[in-house]
Amino acid sequence: MRRYLFKRLVQIVVTLYLYLTLVFFILQAMPGDYSQIYIDNPQLTREAREQLIRDLGLDKPIEEQYFTYLRNFVIGQWGMSFAHGRPVWDIIVERFPRTALLFITATLIAFYLGFLLGKLIAWRRGRMIEYTSTVVGITFYTAFTPMLALLLVWIFAIQLTDWTGLKLFPIANFLDMDKWQLVNLGPHGSNVIFGYMLATLGALAAFIFAYWWLCHRFIHRPGVRFGALLGGYAAVFLLAGYLWVAVEPLAQCWPAFQKYGGRICNWQLAVDILHHMILPVTVVTLISFGGTMLLMRNSMLETIREDYIMAAKAKGLSEKTVRDDHAARNALLPVVTSFVLSLALAIDGGIITETLFSWPGMGLTLLNSVQEQDFPLAIAALVFTGVFALIAHLVADILYAYLDPRIRYE
Amino acid sequence: MATATTAPQRQFDPIWRVRARLLRRGALESWAMFRESKIGLTGLAVIAIFFVAGFVIHPVLWGGPTLPEWFPIAGGQKLWAPLWDGKIYDPILGRPLVWSEEHETYIFTDFPAPPSLRHWLGTDPYGRDILSQILHGIQAAFVLGIFAALITVFIGTTIGAIAAYYGGFVDTFFMRLADIILLFPLIAFLIVLSGLMQMDFWSLAIVLGIYGGFGSITIVLKSQALAIKVKPYIEAARVAGGGHGHIIFRHIIPNILPLSFLYMMFTVTSAIFSEAVLSFFGLVDIKMSWGLMINITRDAGYLGATNMMQFWWLWMPAGLCITFLCAAFYLVGRGLDEIVNPRLRAR
Amino acid sequence: MTIATAAHKAPMLEVQDLTMHYFTRKGEVKAVDDVTFTLYKGEALGLVGESGCGKTSIAITLLRLLPENALFKKGHVFFYRPYDPQKAQRYIGFPVKIVQNGNEAYTGRLREVRSDAQLLLQARTNGRFQEIPVQVDPKAHFGVDLIALDEPRLQEIRWKGISMIFQAAMNALNPVYKVGDQIAEAINTHTPGQPPDQVREKIAQLFQLVGIDPAMIDRYPHEYSGGMKQRAIIAMALSCDPDLIIADEPTTALDVIVQDKILREMRVIQKKLNMSMIYISHDIAVIAEVSDKIGVMYAGKMVEVARCETIFQRPVHPYTKALMSAFPSIKGERRKLESMPGEPPDLIKPPLGCRFHPRCPYATEQCAKEDPAFKPQHEEHFAACWHPLS
Repeated sequence: MRRYLFKRLVQIVVTLYLYLTLVFFILQAMPGDYSQIYIDNPQLTREAREQLIRDLGLDKPIEEQYFTYLRNFVIGQWGMSFAHGRPVWDIIVERFPRTALLFITATLIAFYLGFLLGKLIAWRRGRMIEYTSTVVGITFYTAFTPMLALLLVWIFAIQLTDWTGLKLFPIANFLDMDKWQLVNLGPHGSNVIFGYMLATLGALAAFIFAYWWLCHRFIHRPGVRFGALLGGYAAVFLLAGYLWVAVEPLAQCWPAFQKYGGRICNWQLAVDILHHMILPVTVVTLISFGGTMLLMRNSMLETIREDYIMAAKAKGLSEKTVRDDHAARNALLPVVTSFVLSLALAIDGGIITETLFSWPGMGLTLLNSVQEQDFPLAIAALVFTGVFALIAHLVADILYAYLDPRIRYE
Repeated sequence: MATATTAPQRQFDPIWRVRARLLRRGALESWAMFRESKIGLTGLAVIAIFFVAGFVIHPVLWGGPTLPEWFPIAGGQKLWAPLWDGKIYDPILGRPLVWSEEHETYIFTDFPAPPSLRHWLGTDPYGRDILSQILHGIQAAFVLGIFAALITVFIGTTIGAIAAYYGGFVDTFFMRLADIILLFPLIAFLIVLSGLMQMDFWSLAIVLGIYGGFGSITIVLKSQALAIKVKPYIEAARVAGGGHGHIIFRHIIPNILPLSFLYMMFTVTSAIFSEAVLSFFGLVDIKMSWGLMINITRDAGYLGATNMMQFWWLWMPAGLCITFLCAAFYLVGRGLDEIVNPRLRAR
Repeated sequence: MTIATAAHKAPMLEVQDLTMHYFTRKGEVKAVDDVTFTLYKGEALGLVGESGCGKTSIAITLLRLLPENALFKKGHVFFYRPYDPQKAQRYIGFPVKIVQNGNEAYTGRLREVRSDAQLLLQARTNGRFQEIPVQVDPKAHFGVDLIALDEPRLQEIRWKGISMIFQAAMNALNPVYKVGDQIAEAINTHTPGQPPDQVREKIAQLFQLVGIDPAMIDRYPHEYSGGMKQRAIIAMALSCDPDLIIADEPTTALDVIVQDKILREMRVIQKKLNMSMIYISHDIAVIAEVSDKIGVMYAGKMVEVARCETIFQRPVHPYTKALMSAFPSIKGERRKLESMPGEPPDLIKPPLGCRFHPRCPYATEQCAKEDPAFKPQHEEHFAACWHPLS
């Protein structure tokens, strides 16, 4: 397994390098370098312009520019944003976690949903459920994303509000300004709350996996194991809730974290962000689950012809056991591999969704920066999106290695 | 058995006739299998409907192509009398004026106008006919999708065959390149590219075609070409003195071409979709397309969450067309997939 | 009909008129047609025939492991166990068959288990359904029709009653689970509630029995060699102490030395545990080594069933004779090997009448018109031929 992972890691680094090179040369090949816009400013004097060209390194030979570009990428010197007047790196560090949370949540849900439905429709081949799910899956998969997003907003944020009289879902945005204005959290207050929120979610996720693994490793009686899992999870969730609601150590160690008039608490702000996340997550989930579902269906159809499935049936195992523990478990392997394909698609969907919901993540940043001709930011966002896709690829590889004993015990 | 006994009588058939017969038989067999795939047939039916609307009904309404000026009879005129008045129904320049009996002249009315007898699907915020725009959009979508897909197939088959045939560094290079493209979100790339260069209809099609051609299609076609490379007839061709080019273009590429047509369908889907998204963001310099129709609606402020349903005719026809046409090509691709991939066949 | 001839033996499996076709694009493949045979406790039956003649289809029909496109046409498969009133309760509403005192047999739908010694069957007599009470003696054999059973009841019989050694043993182990766990899964399904240590102990014993190092229990299938996988599959087939094992080409994938060794071991295990076996192979030498009785199949039909020696010395069906002469004799006299003329028929449109007639040297007009009945020729010797050779 170590050899496999090492090989994949080397491959990914090579791919990343090729990718950076590709981006560099595509930029070079473009008619009219974007830095021209900066340089061609008519207010600049001739000397200032030449000084600028020297400062930007544009007078240097192309190889040198290329190596500078690579070095700057590695050390995180990604330039200054034209529009924001801040280092590009800072902007990306601020925006990326928002995209990551949206994307990871939606992808996990979509993957599980696709896995579940694909499994069922392959097992019940030729029944009504196969045709219905295939049509629904393909419709969402190929639906024009902006239209889908807008329709969902209309249904959940407008119609549902009309029918119930309650404002159940926000139309767009990352947070509700009215709520946040009650608290003086400083210019980047939302980042602080969001950071703690991410930390909490990450810790919870890590605990869930670790505790699940521990229980399965050391407790063998099914009843006891179930009880231990339930108890452990309940305790930790209560603890997390308690930390957010009742204890304010977070507030003390961060001056900006003070309640304003006792009207709004930290946890309410966090819930506000989560609340705004629901619709965008639904959209990204809907557009990406179809792909996984159809992949899973095909993979499952191939798997259920294998001899070991017949052997499992012959052993007198129940249909559910054969389907879930034998067929689906094996059919999952090629799906994890091909999952990479849908990752790029999901990121694309994410960009469109972020724009429509004004979710200030990488996608919106990318689009806005292109529209504002803010190229350092646009290119950095593009490069970073690529890096993110590569990281996701690596995670899928690790997952695959874990799931397939033939690789795990190589 | 049967062919062995009849072969001696037919051995003088010219080679092209033998090839044509083989091709016909292969096509008929594939069609018989394709016919059993319900989703494939559904897709084909939807494509046929769009095709008829865009390339039969639309020309009929517009009086067919305009004849060139030098043409002896009716030069510079339409082939037959158009059913639609170009001044009113032109998708781009359509005049936003309505004849008023009362004033006996053309007057401005409120735009966007809801569906009426005059404008079956209403008008856009500038008073242009939506139906006309939709029909125009069909042509744009087909031309763009097919053009991009042909580029993809051309590049994909060539690269796939070459990578499989030569192997080594060539292979590694193109496979890594395909990895990057495969991993990489297309829309993000196109958005940045559209900022760096002015993208019009044809350059977008070419970019999409190239992008698809170096992407996942090469990986699939390469593995297919590898399977063909080890077949005895390739060895025979080499022994018979066939050069690299001859083997690649006469033996390998014809064999991987059917598979590449399968992937062509998926490229069409992604091309139509990408164009729509880019036009929706207003990043493409294009006269009229479905994506642009929605972009116009959005820019004019009719796509807010509160008023979008009130002005449904502005965006829903275009949105549904994008969805259906993308889905149709995708479904045909899946139907073909069941033919090409024997392990998915029902029985 | 077949039970009566062997009054002294306990029946194990009785297959009557089993017919199963596959639905394909080109037409119905008549893979198994009117197959009838009986297997007794402790006996090993070998099924031979050319590839594609329906041997494997019989095996998977017996356990109802049919693919989606299989069409079950007609027939019964009675699986017998000693009568137990408690267990019989589970089969109320299903067709059963009771065999006792040698030749007395009652068939019908089980209505009620009235007392330890009386059952109520619903049977068709003179065209009407009637309820008939049956007195059962404690030594009776109780047969359930596997074809009519529902899925949960069938699952109880699979592996515990009838287990199977698969044709492609290499692929019969799930690659993502440890071999030991896959065997434990079968044991835990059929005898739930056993402590893990005990299950492990049992698997270790099985591994020793088939000749694998028990340390391999915690290894994955890809770490096994071909022969080890085959042995593991045999260990798995033995794991629930089944009454009957169906071995479908159990050793085809192995080299001859290993093949011979495994066959001998299986024969020893079979005798020791007094199990019934059905061996399926295209290799008559393999079958001859391990079987008591041989069934010869041709084009979806059973053409001849008889004791091993009888098949070799006095075959009745011309196909059997031709098959015998196509293989070298192991111990008998030296003779010329003959290959059979012609091709096996297409099972979508099999020849009318006797399916062997186009290749049969003794064929007459009758053979081309009428299908010969599968009927007793001698004692414990059945064949379907218009012109029996002896």
